[in-house]
Amino acid sequence: MREDELRRMATRPATRRTLLKGAGAAGLAAALSPISRAAAGTGTATLVQTAPTRNISGTRLNILLWSHFVPRHDVWYDQFVAEWGQANGVETKVDHINTADVPTAIAAELGAGEGHDMIEHLASLAQYEKSMLDLTDVVEEANRRHGPQLEMAKRNSFNPTTNAYFGFCHGFAPDPGNYRRSLWEVVGMPNGPTSWDELRAGGAQIKAEQGVQMGLGMSNEVDSRMAAQTAMWAFGAAIQDANENVTINSPETIAAVEYMAALFKEAMTPEVFGWNAASNNQLLVAGRASYILNSISAYRTAQKDQAETGEDIYFTAPIVGPAGPSGALAHGHAVFIDMIPQHSPNADTAKEFLLHLVANYAQATEQSEVYNFPAWPTTVPMLQQEGGWLDVDPYGSVPPDKLAVLKTANEWTTNLGHPGPANAALGEIFNLPLLPNMMARAAQGQQTAQESVAQAEQEVNEIFAKWRAEGLIGGGQ
Amino acid sequence: MSTSAQVVPVAAGVDRRRYWLDREGVLGPLLLLPTVVYIIALVGFPLVLAVLYSVSDATVGDQSLDFVGLRNFRAAIGDGTFRVALRNTVAFTLVSQLIVMLLANLLALVLSADFHGKRLVRFLVMLPWTTPVALGVLGWLWTLDNVYSPIDYAFRQMGLLGPSIGPLRVDNPVSDVVRWLGLGSVFGTGSNVLWLAQPALAQLSVLLVHVWRTLPLATVILLAGLTAIPQDVKDAANVDGAGFFRQLFYIRIPLLLPIMAVAFLYGIVFTFTDMTIPFILTNRGGPVDSTQVLASWAFIKGIEGGSLGEGAAVAIFLFPVMAGVAALMLRLARRTETS
Repeated sequence: MREDELRRMATRPATRRTLLKGAGAAGLAAALSPISRAAAGTGTATLVQTAPTRNISGTRLNILLWSHFVPRHDVWYDQFVAEWGQANGVETKVDHINTADVPTAIAAELGAGEGHDMIEHLASLAQYEKSMLDLTDVVEEANRRHGPQLEMAKRNSFNPTTNAYFGFCHGFAPDPGNYRRSLWEVVGMPNGPTSWDELRAGGAQIKAEQGVQMGLGMSNEVDSRMAAQTAMWAFGAAIQDANENVTINSPETIAAVEYMAALFKEAMTPEVFGWNAASNNQLLVAGRASYILNSISAYRTAQKDQAETGEDIYFTAPIVGPAGPSGALAHGHAVFIDMIPQHSPNADTAKEFLLHLVANYAQATEQSEVYNFPAWPTTVPMLQQEGGWLDVDPYGSVPPDKLAVLKTANEWTTNLGHPGPANAALGEIFNLPLLPNMMARAAQGQQTAQESVAQAEQEVNEIFAKWRAEGLIGGGQ
Repeated sequence: MSTSAQVVPVAAGVDRRRYWLDREGVLGPLLLLPTVVYIIALVGFPLVLAVLYSVSDATVGDQSLDFVGLRNFRAAIGDGTFRVALRNTVAFTLVSQLIVMLLANLLALVLSADFHGKRLVRFLVMLPWTTPVALGVLGWLWTLDNVYSPIDYAFRQMGLLGPSIGPLRVDNPVSDVVRWLGLGSVFGTGSNVLWLAQPALAQLSVLLVHVWRTLPLATVILLAGLTAIPQDVKDAANVDGAGFFRQLFYIRIPLLLPIMAVAFLYGIVFTFTDMTIPFILTNRGGPVDSTQVLASWAFIKGIEGGSLGEGAAVAIFLFPVMAGVAALMLRLARRTETS
């Protein structure tokens, strides 16, 4: 069936028959599309029209979206939304803003009681749950169409205490280690560090002998917060347990803080205290970092702007710490979560669009230069299959399988707040400099690791108590 | 007949309006009304709302106001970052305004003299004040960048920064002289000073930008004050043989004191409530909250963190100082009126 026929069908009110026809057509389109060629690293994903299950013709859809780190994605997204709007008689508008400004925009719109119909951020914002619609119906529909959502995605957007999906997580970006092979070859680790011990020893040696520092931030920005959390997990530490009780003040956290302080002294410079979210990317692209924790966006930039450095950048899965392989985890570097404010008059339209987005996730993955990974893995089979995009990078990596280490990303990427769910307290903590400051105070010698962790615990306890009183998180079990 | 019947009511209406408008008790409040509405809508209402938020459990996600007493204030005072922010706010304000007063006096004296290019210099001095603060701070962000700072580049080229041995050592006639003077690598052997990454330097940078930002206003105010000093007083001092410093300390400064107080109070208002500089320059009050101030912490806690109540409580701590400054300014204004 041709695309225009699919579109015509999509604009009609849905019946069971049209739905089945739509699903069959979508399957056929997928089978015959160039995606199969893309699997070999040469093709492009084709648009799959989804027939709306609600009558949304004549409505509007205003989307507020964080500016994607891969500019190509936003160009595609805007066109994708516009085409869907045209096909379904929906007037659409997409606004992109800096990701750091999204919480502020949400606060303003919730305060005003009006604004965009749908807001997407790159992290879990459970603290806004009371003003957001429960999206259980959309998630269940997506599960029905595409199989189960990744557990990590669910735990980033589902509140077990209220039994509600405060957001719709459609994908994530893995957060591997990015290392410069030429530097690590000299210290006998051509495949990069595999453990936190090797990271420290190799990083210190590289800095001492080759004058290149490591880049794990300790500043008030999102990458620093993720790095701190990753280190804590590797040492067996966590902010909360599975039942949402605060566990941050533990020997494991203290060990992690002591480690980061030592790592700073031996392998980094005070630069890491003054970083913003782009700083570690810039350092890597400028050829001045031996190792950073980041998505592949920094590498993509280097590929285009500093080809020689780009060729030298390789990736590692999360490295193993004292907690063993079970603690070798990483946040989604970005976790794409859409929320629909209760004040939106076009909630049904937004829900239909989300289902359409998930059905076309192959496009999102491809147009983000393999940055976006799907929360419903069946929607992008060409990503991880043998000979797929991670084995043969469609964007010209040398060697072509440079991204193959990300094939296991679904296993080692976990949610904010692991081993508990991503709750309102974690959402607030992750918007504050609490974790990086905990590391930095010890690294700067302002406090001992014990003192710094104790201060962090006090701050975390207050935040948890507040949200527990709001009835948004569990605990006490 | 019909014409006169139409004219009479119109004339009566005009007379009635004139009657009301001629009454001071009516016209005065009428003219003040827009200001009162403006103040109530844009100052009074937000202030009342902030007070209500500060004693409630309001969050961004749930803005209903459930009374929690002073819980938010207790939480704020118990928070280490709040105490740092309070200390920084006071320190940045007082230190920067003392420096501004000193420099503004000097600048005002210079600019009150006659010299070629005075207008250009006055324009350049005013420039930081006319530049939007966010734009100006962005300029400083690049100037003090941890990696690409042009100041660092100049220091490296002069041999004041960077290694004095090895392949990265810079050699040129200027650096040779600097090293001969024993000042080689005086700013460190690294490639950058890291202005915004080290707590003390970051605090210094914030102070510097505050001074840069508020100096023009203070200078203009003092310049106006200087020109207002009666010429006959200056002439009398000259005839009596008073030198520059005698005139400065016995005539100019005493006569300028009231106007200096105005400039000082304005500077305090602008600096005490500013959050743009630490927010942009040091990436939200970093490193490790060393440049955090009350305004930025209230925003981070209340808006970015989502705890409206706690954020409002932090912001309320600005109020007593601002109220005190406002009272002082009103008193000064009343004194000026009386005199």
